[in-house]
This record gives sequence, C-alpha cells and structure tokens, in this order.
Amino acid sequence: MQLVKPRLVVGLIIVTIFFLLGFVAPFFAPEDPTAWNTYFRNLPPSAEHIMGTNNLGQDIFWLLTWSIRNSLWIGLSVATFATVIGVLVGLSAGFLGGVSDRFLTLAMDIVIAVPSLPVLILISALLGGKTSLLIIAGVLVLFNWPWPGRQARAMSLSLREREFIHVAQASGENAGKIVVLEIMPFVLGWALANFINTILVAISAESGLAIIGLSSLKEATLGTMIYWAMQHQALLLEKWLWILSPIFAIMLLFIGLFLVSTGWSDYFATRRGRQ
Amino acid sequence: MNYRQWLIAVLVVFSLVVSACAAPAAPATESGDGSSAAPAGEMTFVGTPRNETLILDNLNGSLERPENFNPYTPGVEMGRGYHEICLDNLWDIDTVTGDQFPALAAEMPTPLNDDYTSFEIKLREGIYWDDGVEFTSDDVIFTLQTWMDTETLAIHGWAVDYIAGFEAVDKYTVRLDTTRSQPRLSKDLGVTIWDNRFYPMAKHIWESQDPTTFEYFPPVCIGQYKFSKTDPNGNWTLWELRDDWERTSVGQITEKSGPKYILWNFVGTEEKRILAMIANDVDILQDITPESMEVLTQRSDVVRAWHAGFPYADFDDPCERGISFNNSEFPYDQWQVRWALALATDIKNVSLGTFAGMLRVSPLGVPPVAAVQNVYHKPLVERLQAMTLPDGYAPFDPNFALDMAKIFQEQGVGGDLPTTDAELIDLFGVGWWKYDTEQAAKLLEDVGFTRNADGKWLLPDGTPWSISINAPSDFEVQSGRLAYAVADSWSKFGIDASVKPMTANTFWTEQATGQFEAGSYWPGCAIGADIYPNLSGWHQKFIVPTGEPAPGNVNRHASDKIAAIMDELEKVTSDDPRNVELSSDLLMQMAQEMHWIPMFGTSKFVPVNETYFTNYPTADNYYEGPWWWWSNFKFIAANIQPKQ
Amino acid sequence: MQFAKFLLFRLLTYVLVVWISITIIFFVPRFVPGSPVEAVLGRLMSQGTTMDPKLVQSMRETLTQLFGLEGTLWEQYSSFLTRVLLTWDFGPSLANYPTPVSVLIARALPWSLGLMLTALLISWTLGNFIGLLAGYHNKSTTSKAIETAAMIVYPIPYYILALLLVILFAYIWPIFPFVFQVSGEPGSWQWMKSVAYNSFLPLMSIVMVSLGWWIISMKAMAIDTKEEDFVQYARYRGVEDNKVMVGYVARTAILPQITVLALSIGGVFGGSLITEILFGYPGVGTLIYRAILGSDYNLILGTVSLSIVAVATATLILDIVYPFIDPRIRYK
Repeated sequence: MQLVKPRLVVGLIIVTIFFLLGFVAPFFAPEDPTAWNTYFRNLPPSAEHIMGTNNLGQDIFWLLTWSIRNSLWIGLSVATFATVIGVLVGLSAGFLGGVSDRFLTLAMDIVIAVPSLPVLILISALLGGKTSLLIIAGVLVLFNWPWPGRQARAMSLSLREREFIHVAQASGENAGKIVVLEIMPFVLGWALANFINTILVAISAESGLAIIGLSSLKEATLGTMIYWAMQHQALLLEKWLWILSPIFAIMLLFIGLFLVSTGWSDYFATRRGRQ
Repeated sequence: MNYRQWLIAVLVVFSLVVSACAAPAAPATESGDGSSAAPAGEMTFVGTPRNETLILDNLNGSLERPENFNPYTPGVEMGRGYHEICLDNLWDIDTVTGDQFPALAAEMPTPLNDDYTSFEIKLREGIYWDDGVEFTSDDVIFTLQTWMDTETLAIHGWAVDYIAGFEAVDKYTVRLDTTRSQPRLSKDLGVTIWDNRFYPMAKHIWESQDPTTFEYFPPVCIGQYKFSKTDPNGNWTLWELRDDWERTSVGQITEKSGPKYILWNFVGTEEKRILAMIANDVDILQDITPESMEVLTQRSDVVRAWHAGFPYADFDDPCERGISFNNSEFPYDQWQVRWALALATDIKNVSLGTFAGMLRVSPLGVPPVAAVQNVYHKPLVERLQAMTLPDGYAPFDPNFALDMAKIFQEQGVGGDLPTTDAELIDLFGVGWWKYDTEQAAKLLEDVGFTRNADGKWLLPDGTPWSISINAPSDFEVQSGRLAYAVADSWSKFGIDASVKPMTANTFWTEQATGQFEAGSYWPGCAIGADIYPNLSGWHQKFIVPTGEPAPGNVNRHASDKIAAIMDELEKVTSDDPRNVELSSDLLMQMAQEMHWIPMFGTSKFVPVNETYFTNYPTADNYYEGPWWWWSNFKFIAANIQPKQ
Repeated sequence: MQFAKFLLFRLLTYVLVVWISITIIFFVPRFVPGSPVEAVLGRLMSQGTTMDPKLVQSMRETLTQLFGLEGTLWEQYSSFLTRVLLTWDFGPSLANYPTPVSVLIARALPWSLGLMLTALLISWTLGNFIGLLAGYHNKSTTSKAIETAAMIVYPIPYYILALLLVILFAYIWPIFPFVFQVSGEPGSWQWMKSVAYNSFLPLMSIVMVSLGWWIISMKAMAIDTKEEDFVQYARYRGVEDNKVMVGYVARTAILPQITVLALSIGGVFGGSLITEILFGYPGVGTLIYRAILGSDYNLILGTVSLSIVAVATATLILDIVYPFIDPRIRYK
C-alpha cells in the first residue's frame, strides 16, 4: 500500500497537468498559434514568449498547447473506442460462440490481415490530402479494435473453462452478470494496459503519417509539430525547444499514463487481495 | 510439455532468422576491371580510391530494379549517372547561354528545303561505343526504325505522327523527313532541359532484342564513362572512365576526361545526406532546403553552395513556381478572381515563408533564369509598368528586389549581398504585382463576391469561399512550402484557404485531369531565348473537359489571343528576330490574362564538398549551371579535377 | 469429429479472410485519384523537359494498354482473379515496367524477414522476461532499471528515436555506418559481417521501441496472475518462489503474449515501412511505400497480398494450435 499510492498520485498529477495544458490553456492563446509569421522568427525565450518562437514565426508554447490538445483528443478517442469495441466484441465472441463467434472472428481477422500503414497512406491519398483529424482518428479506430478483440476473445475462451465461472453458472446467475461481475474485473487490468498502449499507437500513427507529410499538416498535433521542426532541420540546427518540446511532451504524457495504469492496477490488486 | 515445446518454437524461429539472413541476394554484377588495383590510401566502400572517386547524391532514392537500363521502358531510372555520363545526345544544351550545341551530331541539323520538312543530320566521326564498335548512321537509322515498328514503345505514336521518312546518306550522314514543318527539329530530338527523347540504340546489341522488355544490362555506353557495377539493392551505381575516352563527344569537344570513377550513391533522408556531406562522404548534393544549407555552412569549412555567401542558392533552375488553377471551372474561370488572388498575395512574406527569402520573383510565365530574364523580364519592365487592368489600375510593383535587400539588412544576414540596384534586380528579380488587398477586394466585389461580418469572403451565391491548394507532400520541397505560405497569405485576406499535401501520383493525376481548384504546380519552364517549345502546350486546342487527362494546357486556359500569337510563333525558327518579339507579346498577353500566378524561379542550393575535388561550377566559376542531374553533366565532369 | 468440423470452418474462414482482404487491396488503390500512367508521365514532365502534347497523348495511350488498365473495373478484377488464382502471378510492376513483381519481392523479402524476425525474437524474449520479473517481484533492481529505461524509450516517436540513434552512433560517435552499404560477395564471411554491422542500428531501433510494450503487457498479466488462487495455493504449499514464477505465473501469463507473437510473425512479411525508409534498408516496406507513391497497382497487390496471407496463416495456425497449449480450451 505504501508504495502504490505515491505512484498513482504522481501519475495523476502528470496527467492532470497535461489535461490542463491541452484542454484549458488553449483558450488563453492570444492568437491562433498555427498561423505563420504572427511573430518574428526564431526569438529566444522571453516573458512574452516563454518558449520563444520558431522558424515559421509561431509561438512555441501556445503551439505546444494546441498540439497537446489535438493529440490527446486523437489518442483518447481512438483508445476509448478501440478498446471498448475490441473488448466487447472479443468477449461476446468468446462467450457466445457459434455463428456470431465465427462472424466476429472473421471481421477481426480481415482487419488484422490488412496492413494498416499502407491503407492509411492510401486513404489519405483517396481523400486527396484533405485529411481531417476526425477521419484519421476514425481510421485508427478501425485498425486498432481487433487487437484487444482477439486477446479478449482468447481470455474469455480460457476464462470460461475456469472454476469460478462454473460455480457462478451452477448457482444460476445469468451470463451478462457473469461477464460484468466476474470477468470484467479480471480483464480490466489488462484492458487498461491495452488502452494506454492504444493511446500511444494512435499518437504515433498520426505522427507517422505526419512525418511522410500525409496528416492534416495545417492543424497542430504533436506529430505535425515534429514534422515542421524536422522539415526545418531543427535537430541539426539545435533549435531544441521546438523539436524537443513535443517529444518530451509525448514521453511525459506516457509516463504519466503509465504510472496511473500500474498504480491503479496495483491498488486494485491489493484491494481484491484483502477481500 | 511446455518447456520442450517452447524450446522447439524458439529453435524454429531462430533457424528462420538464420536462413533469412543467409538467403543469397543477387551478386553485385561486375563488368570490366571495376575495382581491381587499389593503391594505398583511403578507399570507398565500393573498393575504389576515395581521391579518384567523385561521389554524387542519388537524387531519386534507391531503385527496385537497378539492372534495367533500357531507356525506352517506363521503369528505367535515367538519373544515377546513366543519362549523365553513359548515354549521349545528338544535341546537348549549354546551360550558361541556354543554346544547343552538337554533341553526337557534328553540327546543328541542316534544313534541305524552305518549309522545314527535310533535314540532313551530320554525325561526329570517330565516336565509339565502349565495346569498341563505332557509332554510325546505322545506329541512328536502327533507332528510328525501331520507334516506327514497335507499337508497344511509348514513343511510337509520336514518332509515326512526326517522322515521314529517313535514310542513311553515308556512314555519318542521315536524312530525315518530317510530316509537317518543324523549324525546331533539334529541340524535338535534342536536349532542351534535363534530357531529350532520342537515345541512340547500339544496333549490334539491340537488333536481336525485343525493345519493350530488353533490360540492356550491362549497358554499353557512348559517353566517356562505362558501367562498372551496381548495388543489387539499388542504392548505388559505379561508373569508370573509359580508356578510350577521347573517342566520345566530350573527349572530342573538351579534350578533357574527368575523375577516374564516379559513384552515384543514395544516402537516405535529408538529415543523412547533410551529415554524409559534413563527413566528406559525398562530394555533390542535389536538392536541399535552406535550413539544411544553414547546417552545412555551420558545420563544414569545405562545403560551399552556388554562391559562397548569402543567398547561397542558384536561382537559375529552368522551371518557375507559383499557383495554378483549373481556369475552366467556376470561380477561377474569371480573370477578376485570378487577379484578385494575385493581388492578395503578400509576395515578400511568401518568399520569406517559403525559402527564407532566397528566391527570385517573376511576374511572367517563364522562369527568371539569367539567360531568359535578360531577354524578356528586364526589357519588358516598361511594358509591365504601363500595363493596366480594364479599370485603369496599374498592378506592377518594381521594388521587390530593393525591399528584400532592406529586409535582409534589418535581419542582419545581408552582408554578402551586392550593393547596386542593378545587381540586386539581377539577383531578386524585376518585381512583381502589388500587395493590394483593397484592389483585390474591388475586383471580387465586381463579380459579385461579398464579405460577411467576420470579414470572410463569400461566393456570389452567398456560400463561404474556400480554396484548397494541391501541394507535393514528400518531394519538391519548394513547391510544397510555397503552397503553405500562399494559403497563409490568402487566409489573412479572409479566404478559407487550405493545403492538400499529396503523393506524386495523385498530384500529377489531378493536374492532368483538372480535378483541382488550385495547385502548386510548375507549368512554366524555359532555359534560353527560344521559349516557344516549352510554352506550346498552352494552346487552347489542347483543352479537354475536366475529368479527362489533358495532353497539354492542363490549366485549361482558353484564349483566342494567346492562340493567335502561338500560331505565328510555330512558323518561326529559333534564330529569327521575330521570335523574341512574338514571344514577348505572348508573355505580356499571358500576364494580362493571369493564365496562372507565376511567383518565383526555383532555388537550388546544390552544395559541393571541396575536400577531394575542385573546379566545380559555381557563381564565381560559371562555366556551366550546377545541374548535376541533367544529361550535360558529362561536360561538367570533364572539368572537375582531383585536389592535389 | 469435433476437431474436423472446427478445422473445416476455420479453413473456410481463412479463405474468406484472404479473399476479402485482397479484394479490398485491389479496389482501394483504384479509387485513389492517382494513376500509374500519370505517375510515369509526371515523373518525366516534372523535370521540365519539353513534352509535345502529341507525345504526351501517345505515351498515355500506350502505357494504359501496356499496364492492362483498359476496360471496366470488373473486367480488370476478374482477369486479375483468374490470373492470380491460376498462376499466383501478379504481373509486371508498373513503375518498374517490365520487371515482374515476383522478382522485386524475391529480392526484398529475405532482408525484411532477417531484420524483423531477429528484432521480434530479441524484444519478445527480453521483454517478457523483464515484464515477468517486474510483475512478479517488483523488487529486483536490475529489472527495475531496464524497465524504467524501456519505459522512457518506448514513447519516443519511432522516427525520432531512430534518428537519434543515427546521430549518436553514426555521426557523433561513428561506430556504425549511417548509410546502409553492404560490401563483399553475398554469402561470404565478409558479406555476413557487413550485413550484421549495417543492420545493427535498424535492429536496435526496432527492439528498443517494441520492448516496452512486451514489458507492460507481460507485467500486467503477471501481476494479475500471481493473485490467482492456484498461484497462492502453490505458495502456501511451499513451492520455491522462482518455480512459482516460472512454472505457474509465466505459464499462464505467457498465453496472450504468444497470441500477439504469432500475429506479429505474420506481420513481419510486410516489412517495416518507416524503419526501411529511414535506414535505406532494402526490404518489403520500402517496396510497399514506393508502390503506393507510384500507384503501382500490381506491386501493391503483390506485396500487400503476401503480408495478408502471412498474417492470416499465422492466425490460422494459432487457432489450431492454441488448444494444445491451453488444454482448458476445447474446439467448439
């Protein structure tokens, strides 16, 4: 218990800071930070621009807040939808069995079999580059739900043979209740790890697209911010604030989420242990 | 059961790995004694002495099929040295003057009649293929005959339409008849920009082959270099100087040869290309961004660009950049709208936003290359200043160059800039259109556009006006950035302007089919005073409906006046004084109609590393333009010397 | 009997998966507003070379014919299906015409397999081991250190991580090459050394980014499993701690990891697009990327179909083998 809580708390603090940066701070931006040449180019940090300006005449701090907002938005929505859909579909496939299992497994297998990055590139081309973040998020959900889905199915196949399910079934409880009360807790620890992973998969997939110039480049995300910095050789020119701020943001965000995830599952485990 | 099964699984995977690693890739195929005797000293990774090997950046990346050297297949890669130093052309281009000169031919084609339908082509004597067979009129005739006979060659349809007949007069003379009057035969069969379409086939090699599928590997060269070896993975190709290099056009014309080996090597993404040059592993880099140039100047003392100091880049690339529209679709079919967009473009900020101001402007439909600018842009300044829109408004602003110089002085980077006005105009261009949003607004209001309460523009039917600009996503950086900079300018004017970054195939397809509103394309190229061959596609007879791929006039700009001038120009030879006169009228008419919005010439930084070699062409040593990827590189190579 | 029925259905699903997926890959590129013919023409014209409109038109017609793009989509699809079903021949690459797609794939595939399988194996083994230690003990300092390192590396976008590796180990401290340049005769000792030397950085980059995920998921599984009754019971019985970890916790927790490993092995056949582009590595990923850029329909189909078949086969094998690994599952 002593070790568990501080982790959870630190993680929650980091994640909260990101949520504040991403969802509250952008309202205070003096100008649209994505517009070019709003300020002088390459200014050093000052009271007016706490992280300076970049080669495109954008304020790096405000740009970063907008980027965090959009990336969080992509990561959270993709992870939520992909995990929820995946877990539900996977569990139902595993428990229902029969035709519905076959059909759902077929759908999952098709999506898993089609490699996602080429199709993402193709879809970006299909939409003629007018890729909005919403569409990117949608495609990412499409490609990410079958992974938790298959794992959830595998778990349910394994779980339903276990003693406590038989006991529950024998005592006359209905299937839905079994899933919710007995199985969900077991699945949750793993689902959260998957959820966090999907956030990262979504954010990196978006930045992967951005790197080859096929994301919605005019919109600020951590990926497009890196794209523009790389385009302007920020790394070799040692414009560290511009290139490293989105990288550190992604790292910190992840570490924060990771601490929350492990802290929570430890906490959860100890509580279950006490019961 | 578990441990053993586990062990087996692991072993299976391991053996897969080993077998995959050991799977033999095709061996690096060698011909000749490419990498034999290696004297002491630093060696390249292909086993040649570094100080005898000129290394160029392979612009087009790695190749999937490096063994294909058939220039008539769609899958061939002409770069990587193939057309630069192995193949040769009948007539090549002098990139300083923009004039053609005879290479494999002994002289320019001689017309045999007054209506230019019959020509005599004299070939240079004493030219040999690298396998020792002489190049004669038989090879030329064989090539032409193959074009005419092989329906599956992409050139076939054009050849049948163009060529009426041909015969070998003697060993070094060919007579060629055309179906129509062709006053510019050497432009059609020789190099104008980058390359041409006439690659002579060595008859003794090709006559037993199917020209559609033959891979021509290893290639037999007619330039002063021969093929040595190529990477089966397609990253590099090595060429070796021929012992009999005097028996080539370059040998005969320049009496010089060039470095012993030339290696084209693909180094990777832009960061790696820069780092490779800093590490002296590459001698010549091709297309890079201004920021990369900044890194190079900071990190290396032996690297220089075209200009030793600011603005570094060479501005003489023969294509100019700007924004095109599909002029047949509403609202871009109205000249008022195109003019309004030109006047709503803050050209100085666009220049800064695109390439940090290292750009030369051009208000005309041909690039501001020195050889073109002196013939057209500068003499036409007076006519540009006198030019008015129908309402009497004079749109031209000649002060761009001086204003830019002032901006650079303020930024503290102008130390290397020339000081006189004339030199600044040579560098930054004769001027462009005014940045006048009021006049732009007036033009739009004239055709029914309105503004809403937020200052956003609405189409005449009241719906919001949005423009999306097609832009190259991962290639042609300058055009890509230009699109963003222009969109930024137009957004500030109150138009919902966005950029569509696209892969090459989509980018080109949408241009050909006209399925775009606006695009960062480059439909204006030219290198010398004779600009008509490059602009002939703007004739309205080539317009096809939107949705069908167009053979020319992809902007679908219809104009009787332009067509009339072009019909005149077609009949005039390159050296006729009326050529320049009519071409000037053509350019002024195009500007008046704003056929597209030309903005800047192309800036190429083309840095070179002087550790191992010297006498590269530069602004201070201007014997050729720095076009390492053109067919005339063989003449540059002859002048590059090892550093002693 | 039940097994036969299961197998039949499973094989049917397999065929359906492959067929539907390949059909998707046949049609999607053709709806993209880019055509291979225009890609070839655009490549020529973008150089600024003079192209007489008549020549453009004649080239366009010839290429359309050569590339087999005449006729309706259905005609193209049915001729594609018959050709592929009968001969498994994807035809010539359009961007590399007339080189057959199979020649290009045969050259690229061994490279991708070698790199990806090795990376997968290293990261999977190492990741699960560390994850297990971290999840079971959460006390061991070494495992904690590696875990922390992996966690810090994991979220760095792959592209940046790879670039940092190149700058660190090929430029600032040049112990590895920054260009993929293999020397020596293929198969020779020198060649193998050269391949290993050149592949090290790409390999490391993949291992570093994928390690974190294996650790996280294994750790989560291990934590959950060690609270299970049968594990607790083993402890009460006084089974030695390490034996509990390996024999009870690892055996149970490893199952989902095998699922993902099997799926990942299937994915190996698609190469790794970004790694290969970044390191100039000559594998299938580069091939796919360039095929898409050039609207090379045949090459897209060839490479992606290979990857589809591989992934589908991996899942098929997995489903058939799974009950042998986990006896609690029965075929239904």
